[in-house]
Amino acid sequence: MRKILIISLFLVSVSVKAQSALSFGWLPKVNLSKKVSSSIKWVNSVEAREDLYNNTFMFSHNLVDVSSIISINTNVYQSFNFGYIVRFKGDEVVHRLLQHFNVVQNYDGLKIGHRLGMEQFFQNAVRPQYRTRYRATFEKALTGLKVDVKEWYLKISNEYLYQFNKNDLEARISPYLGYKLGKRDKIEIGLDYRLGSLLEFEKKNNLWFRTTWYISI
Amino acid sequence: MKFTQIFTILIFFTVNSITGQYKFEKERRVKPHEVPSEAIDFVSKVKFKKKIKWYLEESQDGKTFEAKVYFKKRKHSIEFNHLGSVLDVEIETKFSKIEKETQNKINSTLEKRFRKFKIRKIQLQYKGKEEDLMNCIKKECSLKPNYEIVLKGKTDSSYKLYELLVDYAGERILKELKFSQDNFDNLQF
Repeated sequence: MRKILIISLFLVSVSVKAQSALSFGWLPKVNLSKKVSSSIKWVNSVEAREDLYNNTFMFSHNLVDVSSIISINTNVYQSFNFGYIVRFKGDEVVHRLLQHFNVVQNYDGLKIGHRLGMEQFFQNAVRPQYRTRYRATFEKALTGLKVDVKEWYLKISNEYLYQFNKNDLEARISPYLGYKLGKRDKIEIGLDYRLGSLLEFEKKNNLWFRTTWYISI
Repeated sequence: MKFTQIFTILIFFTVNSITGQYKFEKERRVKPHEVPSEAIDFVSKVKFKKKIKWYLEESQDGKTFEAKVYFKKRKHSIEFNHLGSVLDVEIETKFSKIEKETQNKINSTLEKRFRKFKIRKIQLQYKGKEEDLMNCIKKECSLKPNYEIVLKGKTDSSYKLYELLVDYAGERILKELKFSQDNFDNLQF
């Protein structure tokens, strides 16, 4: 597993160097979920985006996303999520609707999560935008076969996003180190590398340092 | 309190403890030198070709050591007590590989317990003398196994995860533990 992490970080750093425009920042996020019934959860999150480098070093607040999602478990390892995200970026407000389908494969010592989604963006004076995305996430316990309380785990995700109107494809790769603080909360730190405009000659690079706190009440 | 009242209360708690118990298990990987020598001696007698992974487990039944290893294309879990004496051998199998008659009996036992169910994992659980267990590992088994079954089952409106131990005949549930479903928020959001 350590080898996978080192290789992932290496690939991220190589691909970052290979491109010209790069921005770097911090994405702190808190995710709070509450069980409403045996098969329904209400999940709320707040995520900020702080720019730390964009051609020059800086510390500038970029945006905040606030989301509210209803997650319906159709099976022990399957769920449909329907939600709303509002983005505050300066004077701009972007509304987003999302419909995600999740499947988790649970093996001894390894979990694989698949997420397939559709999203619609709405904003004043801008035509609605439509996006589809697929993400595969691998989670491996670093002690034993499953992640117990006060144990570390490694998580790596790879995602592809396609924006229909702009004909834009983006790929993301994110290695994380997670720690299960208690029965109901986990914390993750890691990198989130995004390579945008994949169908264009000039690509866009973003590298984010992510910290996420998952709480379930 | 009358005898019948005491008896009724006892029966109530016994039934509750069989059907309502949650599975508790915490395990961590350990190195061979942390494992009791008696357990090491047992596995060395089998002469496994593949690497043995050792785990220390804490569960309802106390602290145990477990050796996980592939042998003759089968996945084995060999459980030892804290002193290194072998407790049982579990061998993963497919439901379809079990005798047809036993399959039918297991199905009918589970149909009585659950409105709907789907088996996710099944292991043959052997208990007995050290020599007999070793023969089971070597595919020269004379013991009858119980069946340790992990399934998702519906008793009300939603599926839950269960670990059951069904007797060798497939007719009785000897043990039932409910799993609390893992939280997958970090794989979804």
